Amino acid sequence: MAQVQIFDSSFKQLIGDEVKFLQMVASEARETKEAPEKWTPSSVSGLICSYCKTSFNDVQQQREHYKLDWHRYNLKQSLLSRSPLTEEEFNERADDVSSISGSESEKEDNLESIATSQGKIFLKTSQGVVFSMYRCLLFAKKEELDNNVLLDRLRECNVNNQWTVIMLGGGHFAGAVFRGSTPILHKTFHCYTVRAGQGGSQSSKDNRSGSQCKSAGASLRRYNETALVQHVHDILETWQQEIANSGLIIYRATGAYNQSILFSGKVPLLNRSDSRLRTVPFSTRRATFTEVKRVHGLLSCATLYESSQTLDDVLKHEVKETSPKRSKVKNNNINRAKSRENVERPLPVAYPASRSNSLERTDQIPSEDNLYISEQEISTKSLLENFDDSLTLEERRRKKPKKTKSRNKRQAEREALHKAKVYELMQLGNIPNFELYLKNAKIPDDESDNKSSVINEVIDAHGNSLLHIAAMHRQFDLIRYLLEHDADPCLRNSSQQTPYSSTQDGDVRTVFKTFASEFPEKYNYNKAQIPIPAVLTDEQLEKRKLVKKLKREKEKEKKKATVLKKQEECERERFLQLSDREKRALAAERRILSQGGTVVARCFLCASDMSGKVPFEYSGNKFCTIDCLKAHRLAHPIVLS
Amino acid sequence: MAFRVQFENNNEIGVFSKLTNSYCLVGIGGSENFYSVFQGELAETIPVIHASLAGCRIIGRMSVGNKHGLLVPSSTFDTELQHLRNSLPDKVKLQRIEERLSALGNVIACNDYVALVHPDIDRETEEIIADTLQVEVFRQTIANNVLVGSYSVLSNRGALVHPNTSLSDQQELSTLLQLPLAAGTVNRGSTAVAAGMVVNDWCAFTGMDTTSTELTVIESIFRLNDANPSAIASTMRATLIESMT
Repeated sequence: MAQVQIFDSSFKQLIGDEVKFLQMVASEARETKEAPEKWTPSSVSGLICSYCKTSFNDVQQQREHYKLDWHRYNLKQSLLSRSPLTEEEFNERADDVSSISGSESEKEDNLESIATSQGKIFLKTSQGVVFSMYRCLLFAKKEELDNNVLLDRLRECNVNNQWTVIMLGGGHFAGAVFRGSTPILHKTFHCYTVRAGQGGSQSSKDNRSGSQCKSAGASLRRYNETALVQHVHDILETWQQEIANSGLIIYRATGAYNQSILFSGKVPLLNRSDSRLRTVPFSTRRATFTEVKRVHGLLSCATLYESSQTLDDVLKHEVKETSPKRSKVKNNNINRAKSRENVERPLPVAYPASRSNSLERTDQIPSEDNLYISEQEISTKSLLENFDDSLTLEERRRKKPKKTKSRNKRQAEREALHKAKVYELMQLGNIPNFELYLKNAKIPDDESDNKSSVINEVIDAHGNSLLHIAAMHRQFDLIRYLLEHDADPCLRNSSQQTPYSSTQDGDVRTVFKTFASEFPEKYNYNKAQIPIPAVLTDEQLEKRKLVKKLKREKEKEKKKATVLKKQEECERERFLQLSDREKRALAAERRILSQGGTVVARCFLCASDMSGKVPFEYSGNKFCTIDCLKAHRLAHPIVLS
Repeated sequence: MAFRVQFENNNEIGVFSKLTNSYCLVGIGGSENFYSVFQGELAETIPVIHASLAGCRIIGRMSVGNKHGLLVPSSTFDTELQHLRNSLPDKVKLQRIEERLSALGNVIACNDYVALVHPDIDRETEEIIADTLQVEVFRQTIANNVLVGSYSVLSNRGALVHPNTSLSDQQELSTLLQLPLAAGTVNRGSTAVAAGMVVNDWCAFTGMDTTSTELTVIESIFRLNDANPSAIASTMRATLIESMT
């Protein structure tokens, strides 16, 4: 493979008199095309299937054959000009063939498509030399490849070796006019037009969103965009002469905006229908002068191959190179939705800790082995033994409740047993047995030293004491016995009931009441909710009577005082309502009363003494009380004239 | 008998008509000329029906049928279906088919006993064809062409296929179909034989361009006139020769 500049004279010699397109036909395809013609039916009768290359004995057989999947498959194969399968082959492959349709389109990347996908054409000279060059140099995009004009075109590019290369993109402009391989004119510049964060040009963003963004950057870019267009126009106008002379105009302008710079405006820089216009047939980098030179260099080179065989090899090699790349890309996409393949890996080998192994090893790596042994010997436990009582906080915490728990447990068990026994005895109501038991129970219980604590013990889960239980089970004698032996009737169970209120039984309640009347001072019966019976001793009755008398007298006095107070208040109010003259008259009355003692004023009706009092009055008549006034008025009704 | 007709200056009459042994469908044209040719020839024996399918006049390519039934594509309107049902003889079954290859006339060729179908046709469709048209169905190609309906014409008496069909293929087809077979053209060399002509057991219609040679081949292979050339050559030969001498 050698590179030849197409402007060189060597290239001219290479072309010579005749150049033809290289015919590339895959060798495999040729085989399949020939294959069907080889088969000649054994029978002349027409009892055959030409697709499956089989013959039949009678028409029935033939007709049945035409309904087989095998026939359908071979029919499809023949349409794809592939060789048919025999029945056995088909049966073998029936599992693999996903659909009998047989139309799975295996896109074979044949050599032709690979070669042309690079935008190149492959040519063969009369001397048998094969070379490739970019198609765009000879033919416009939509032109058909034509053998007739090929030679003329090839010669043309040798005659006029002036090319213009223009690259536009991302605010970058690079343009150059080449004569041969040397640039005679070139210019590059850059304007800030691309939105750095989001990408894309400002104008496209404005068009998309509708409203124009008013940030400083946006307006800067907008300005730069117009500036870029202006600059490009200026530059290309100065080059107009050279561009007009050049044989090819190769441009790269991606996107509508960049295209519009070159092809639109009042006076378009380039004419779209210009036959010299070509796009760059491969991907390019940022538009710079070096890139322009690289593009020009690549385009102006023709690649020589010694023979068509080497070309085949080269292309096949390329296929091989490209195909693993594709698969690699596929592998990179890890499908996390799928469960991953379970790879069985060998377990790590355990470190040989046994004595025998370590002995063997001592010969080889003694130092390591020593380390291993010493590791075993250093035990801090022996050192810690001296400080055995210095337990850690955690250990302390752990140990303590353990002990108490066990003791509690034991006691609880014992108590449960005791309670069960007591409960049983209570139910029986046998007092001597109960007494005996209580005496026994008193001895082992060092905590409850007196009898009352035992008797007042809570027995069952509902917080009932002995008295509660006795009351519930109607053990009258036991109740009495317990009350006599300091069982507290004020204790309440979990539902806040005293022994008296825990039962509705009238007989049980009378037992409590009689006890209460017999020993009225022993317990607080109010607290025990036991009503004190009505029958009381004479002394107590007298005492109570006395107390009551005193209370009543006190109340009477209080009442009197309040009545007096009220009277006084009423008097005062009436006095305040009097006019000053009346007040004076009243004061005079009182003075007279205190001095002489004669009655100054009498009630008009009842004639009682009312001197020194504020009289009730109507139409000049004065009365001692309201009642007198009312009676007088009724007796002398006023006749309205 | 074979007749030359034209549909509005178009010779592809197989596109605009469908002829079977029990009915004849004719596309709705601008004038009644086309219809009246069929009417004049067939009215005594079978109904000649004006029809359209999915609003189109190309009924010959869209539908397929024989004396037992008629298959129309799923795009057919309900009103059209109703009209066909009303016009067709009662014993003819009418069926609408859900098939991807909706130009049924192009992918299916049939007579009253056998049918050739496109290799890609649905299995379900194949069953419907077998049931409705009461035929045996074979997947085939004609001269390496999948459009069997376009490149072959079958009647109960014979078949005409694409001119490029090889002799061995013709032989194979004729044994398969149990019919005499000929490769030929219509309309002055048109290879789309089904588009250029319609045929039933006693008469054929071809495009106006059809040459007399083509017409002769058609008449002989479909045995449309009793006084065919073979009869002249064999049974009548002795008398003819005697009189000539």
